[in-house]
Amino acid sequence: MINFKINDISVEAEKGETILTVARKNDIYIPTMCYISKTTPCASCRMCVVEAEGVEGFVLSCNTPPTEGIEITTNTAELENERTNIMKLYDVNHPLECGVCDKSGECDLQNKTLEFNIERQNFSARDQNRDRQNWGLINYNPSLCILCEKCVHVCNEVIGDDAIEVKFGGYSSTIIPKNADTLDCTFCGECIAVCPVGALVSSDFEYTANAWELSRVPATCAHCSAGCSLEYETRHSGINSVDEIYRVKNNFEFTSLCGAGRFGYDFDNKVVKEVDSFKLGIEALKNSDAIRFSSIITNEEAHILELLKEKLGIKLFNDDARKFAEFMKSYSSISGKLHHSGSLDAIKQSDAAIIIGSRIATDNPGVRYALTTAAKHNGAKVVYAHPMEDVLMQNVITQFMKYEVGTEEGVLALLAHALLVDADLNEKEKAFFDDLDLGYIYAETNLGEEEFSFMMKSFTRTKNRVLIIGNDLIAHERSDNIAKLAALIEKYSSFSLVIVPREVNTLGCSLINSLDIDEDIANVVGYNAKGSFVISSQEGADLAVAALNQQEGTVVNIDNKVLPTNVALSFNGYTLNDIANALDINKENTVDYTKELSKNSGFKTVEFDDLENFLSKMGDDVRGYLLDEVTCQADGELEELDDLPEFNGTIIYHADPVLQFNNLTKQAAQLEKDNFLRGSKQFSVAAKISDGDKVEVTFGSTTIQREFKLDSELKGTVALNPTFDIGVDSSRYRFVKSKIVRVV
Amino acid sequence: MSKVYFSTWNGELINNINKPEDEWEKSAYNLPAQYDDHRDSKAFIGWDGVALFDEDVDVIRLAMEYAAQYQEYSEACGRCAPGRWGGQILYDQLDKIARGEGAVADLNHLKEIGSSMQVTSKCEIGKTVPNPILDLMLHFEDTFMECINEQKKSKHYDDEIGYIAKITAPCTDACPSSVDIPGYIEGVRDLRMDDSLKATRQTMPLAHVCGRVCPHPCEDACRRTNLDEPVSIMALKRLGADWETDHGFEFFHPMEKKPNNGKRVAIIGAGPAGLTAAYYLAAEGVHCDVYEELPVLGGEVAVGVPEYRMPIDKYNQDIECVKDMGVNFIVNSKITADEMRRFETEYDATMVATGTRISKKVRCDNERPEVEGYWSSIEMLDQINLWDKYGIGEPVDLTGKTVVCVGGGFTSMDVVRCSIRANAKKVIMIYRRDEKTIIRNTTYEEYHEAVEEGVEFIFHSAVNRMNDEDDVLKSLDFDMFELVPNPDGGRAQLVLIEGAGFNLEVDYLIPAVSQAADLKLLPQEWDIEMTSWGTIKTNGKDYMTSRAGIFAAGDCEYGPMTIVNAVGQAKRAASVISRYVQTGEITLTDDEIMEDHLRKLKVYDKKEKVTGWLPGLAREHSEVVDVDIRKYNNDEVNLGFTQDEAMSEAERCMRCYYIAMVAT
Repeated sequence: MINFKINDISVEAEKGETILTVARKNDIYIPTMCYISKTTPCASCRMCVVEAEGVEGFVLSCNTPPTEGIEITTNTAELENERTNIMKLYDVNHPLECGVCDKSGECDLQNKTLEFNIERQNFSARDQNRDRQNWGLINYNPSLCILCEKCVHVCNEVIGDDAIEVKFGGYSSTIIPKNADTLDCTFCGECIAVCPVGALVSSDFEYTANAWELSRVPATCAHCSAGCSLEYETRHSGINSVDEIYRVKNNFEFTSLCGAGRFGYDFDNKVVKEVDSFKLGIEALKNSDAIRFSSIITNEEAHILELLKEKLGIKLFNDDARKFAEFMKSYSSISGKLHHSGSLDAIKQSDAAIIIGSRIATDNPGVRYALTTAAKHNGAKVVYAHPMEDVLMQNVITQFMKYEVGTEEGVLALLAHALLVDADLNEKEKAFFDDLDLGYIYAETNLGEEEFSFMMKSFTRTKNRVLIIGNDLIAHERSDNIAKLAALIEKYSSFSLVIVPREVNTLGCSLINSLDIDEDIANVVGYNAKGSFVISSQEGADLAVAALNQQEGTVVNIDNKVLPTNVALSFNGYTLNDIANALDINKENTVDYTKELSKNSGFKTVEFDDLENFLSKMGDDVRGYLLDEVTCQADGELEELDDLPEFNGTIIYHADPVLQFNNLTKQAAQLEKDNFLRGSKQFSVAAKISDGDKVEVTFGSTTIQREFKLDSELKGTVALNPTFDIGVDSSRYRFVKSKIVRVV
Repeated sequence: MSKVYFSTWNGELINNINKPEDEWEKSAYNLPAQYDDHRDSKAFIGWDGVALFDEDVDVIRLAMEYAAQYQEYSEACGRCAPGRWGGQILYDQLDKIARGEGAVADLNHLKEIGSSMQVTSKCEIGKTVPNPILDLMLHFEDTFMECINEQKKSKHYDDEIGYIAKITAPCTDACPSSVDIPGYIEGVRDLRMDDSLKATRQTMPLAHVCGRVCPHPCEDACRRTNLDEPVSIMALKRLGADWETDHGFEFFHPMEKKPNNGKRVAIIGAGPAGLTAAYYLAAEGVHCDVYEELPVLGGEVAVGVPEYRMPIDKYNQDIECVKDMGVNFIVNSKITADEMRRFETEYDATMVATGTRISKKVRCDNERPEVEGYWSSIEMLDQINLWDKYGIGEPVDLTGKTVVCVGGGFTSMDVVRCSIRANAKKVIMIYRRDEKTIIRNTTYEEYHEAVEEGVEFIFHSAVNRMNDEDDVLKSLDFDMFELVPNPDGGRAQLVLIEGAGFNLEVDYLIPAVSQAADLKLLPQEWDIEMTSWGTIKTNGKDYMTSRAGIFAAGDCEYGPMTIVNAVGQAKRAASVISRYVQTGEITLTDDEIMEDHLRKLKVYDKKEKVTGWLPGLAREHSEVVDVDIRKYNNDEVNLGFTQDEAMSEAERCMRCYYIAMVAT
């Protein structure tokens, strides 16, 4: 701890804190134009200068750590004068188009110009003619840009795209796409979020509304299990006289959002109430043998479905949540507790991470951003184990372990073997490792002993370690033993564990529902899923219900946090609760069930309306609550390793492209719907297809049509097949043998 | 001392206005009055003031052009609000006055903006650009007022005048390779490691090496020293290189390779100088064949510097980076005079970069190389490194042996620390001078790590005689000296202490006092001019030898010196050669001429008072492997900075970029 004073107030700084961060923590105001909490200081605006006792000149507070006993003053007349001068400079030639600018009303430049009372421009610089740039979903106006560099820092340090940079040139400095003519990135739109002025804007939103006309609804993103906080900004539309979501924003100071969250918000159900369909729905349910549902629902809906199951004596199908629940059950049988120990925050703080069995950049961008933060800010050593490389992760990964498709159980055994070499295992656990046929496993996984020793060496100086387990392990045939191995690593090593659920509420459903094995039977009512009668918020439903952005309720995210989400747009139709009421399961509102969620799974008895949904001004996430830890019987034992399977022939991997996740993102107008089958040169040769070919892809009992795209960024013999538009069985192992035929 | 008409350089005020030329007072500084051999300078303007060498200088335009350079040379700038807008306003207001449209208010704006830039800019460019401009406005107010009052153009506003500017920094100026140090540190600070590495590689392809084993003369010229302690400049260099290696990226070259221009250069020696010259020549589109005598690439850094200081897998990354530029290497190829004659006809130029690979004698009695136990440091380190790094030859095992090394420089440190790792019973370093001097000649860390590992240092000592039995070394006689201060203030004298000598039984005497160049490859009839210390002579600027088309750089030119020195020389030589092979002329670029001028002037001023920074932020030190572990293995001793350490260290850098400009 360093003790020092700011404006005569005694304050303390921890190692790594700067004068500015300490000031903010203590509610002392120092103006800034370029500072953003989640990145290294940009240090470009120079507004945050302060005076230090005994030090000649002004000291920059954003990047200077305090020294013991120093006395800092933040508000002398001289400082005010210099800050005012800087604001005068910022205003030189700044286009006077606030009347139409998207940012007006929430613009830092506008705010500070008023704060410093800059009324006129006393001197000039020759103005420059600079063209607006259209970069797809993002527009850039260099004339409005103040070169604060926030966008560049965020893109590089938090997102990991590193897609933009400053082109230096004094007064003519500008932001340009890095190493490209136009912006080539994952279009998270984080640059728009952090832009303090109207230089970077959403091309869809531009000139459609003023900031003060929009209502903000705090919510949780529906697209993946990261459960990012966001705000839907809505406005009454004059054309069809209903509310519409105009854009999505996030608390960019501390959190990040991917492009699907930011631009894929228009999945609301616009269908109007139909009494007849409702009646048909009730009948269908009464006559059904099962309900099949997706995990893109709230905990409260899941709870109602569970009540329906009991009431109607039917089965409940959700293989995604069921496989997850089974995985966690095996995990618990070793760990003796219900929930994994890690979180996105633990990943952000880590300096060593192993990610296995996921194409994480697109499976869960939240995890990717946390890994980027760890890699950039902590210099984390990141081991990425997967059969396929991912260029999006290259600047994060320090070691790529390429294993053979299907051999995940062997890989995890090797991993546990390496990580637990000095662990205090019990006799049976020791015996498990002693009995491993390492030679066989190395050979079949195609990993080498030296890869593990390299990994262990790279972890030498690390302190905060995390193991991240992806869907390939959860959906694996041998997931039971894999989960036990993961639990063993968590139990005996310094690694915390994060198991990545697939959908926004896979984790919640796995805790709430007692699920049956999905059988191909006739009388199944689908709830946001396939069935003989479909109740859904999506197109083609037999009975329309509210979409996730039209209801309130909670979901459980990857952090084991119960997060509230709210109604952005009203829905003039039925909800699952209406159906339940019709079947004598009586509650007035869906969220009346929030406090009834099972304590046995770690839920708390909290009313929905008592859940907070914001970030504190220092960035603490006080949304919802963390599930209570639940102890369980640790009576599981490792099984002997099974023979490792071999995948020969034409293999495809079900993985969505950036910005796509599910049928919600599929219908979002702004999101690119790239559904090519993508493969490497090697794949195209093996499958005897070439770029642009129309092909028929058959796997299991499914046959789909795709266009093949040769992708120079891919290597090896596995092709990527998107699933957002076809809705494959998400409980299945994502690598599948397939038959690919060119369609003439 | 330069003859000037007017100067405010570094706070001096030399004003010879209206004085006859023979009464002109001289400046106290080495200002570039003569730009090159065919051009005089009319004015020199920079961070620290302005000097006019001529009465006829248009001071308004000079100020304006200097402000323009700030916009022009903004690879370093445009990074802060005061600098970006302020710099442009300075230029526009000065231009307005110079073209005869100025107003008195413009002068006030210039002063106001200038002083804001001086206190709030991000780097020293922004802080210092207003200095000479305000100086000119102060001392030549009449000239400014005349243009304003009469609304007339400044006197040479429309004339063609050459303005040649250069960006520098105290550290960059002190670096023999002129590395853009603030640039690569900024890359670390901004977590843009590719930018950091590219900044280094503009002038220094061996980022892994010089991020580890450079004696970092830059740190002696770090302005942060004036405030607290120098920035740990060297250690921050490896961040970018390690990042590229760790993530398996393709090599980040700072330039695009030009298409092959059909020119061919032979380079003799694949050490730091050879590698460097090849890298930059290849980038210019010149075909390079690098001939290496040893079976391995890398020269003395590969076979001299031990694995624990410079891991070969990292050095190989640097070498791969050079290869990636498209350089052809031929190993196991000792070049003879005949081949040199052939090269002269087959290649457009030849560069000799063979280093100094002959260990000099310690000059004691009975010093006969044939005595068993007398072992040249070069041969010893060759054997150790070839085995440790490449598995070539056989290992060195000194179990039970007593080793005496005579030296005091880096090579001798490598000898004694390698001897410890080869399990010697006793390792003694004999050094004529004292502890302070050995630290100055090497580094504090190097010396203390050696002491920790168990090397015994005997200062003020020398070997008097080798005692052998049947050509087998048995013992050594030592003399002891004392340092007697020179009453005239010169270097202290070593005076023998009678009767203090002693005898020790030893197994090995390893001379590591210095090395000499083996230049038998130079054909006699070329009669190439040599230095008095037996190296190839050049003018130290263009690195061409007395024979046209034959160049020399690195230790074979300078004598045994540092890696960074070899790199710097070779980089310059490559630049000169790239033009020579096209035109047959020996030329320097303006940038190189300015570089030499500024080095003469010296950019770093250790007396300067630094303001605007909080003092007392301690320099970070990276972790080193515990002595009880490192003594017994060859793993890298210095673990490098953690990300946290690197970032706090990078934040200590004050970005002391400066712009200097000459008007011709």
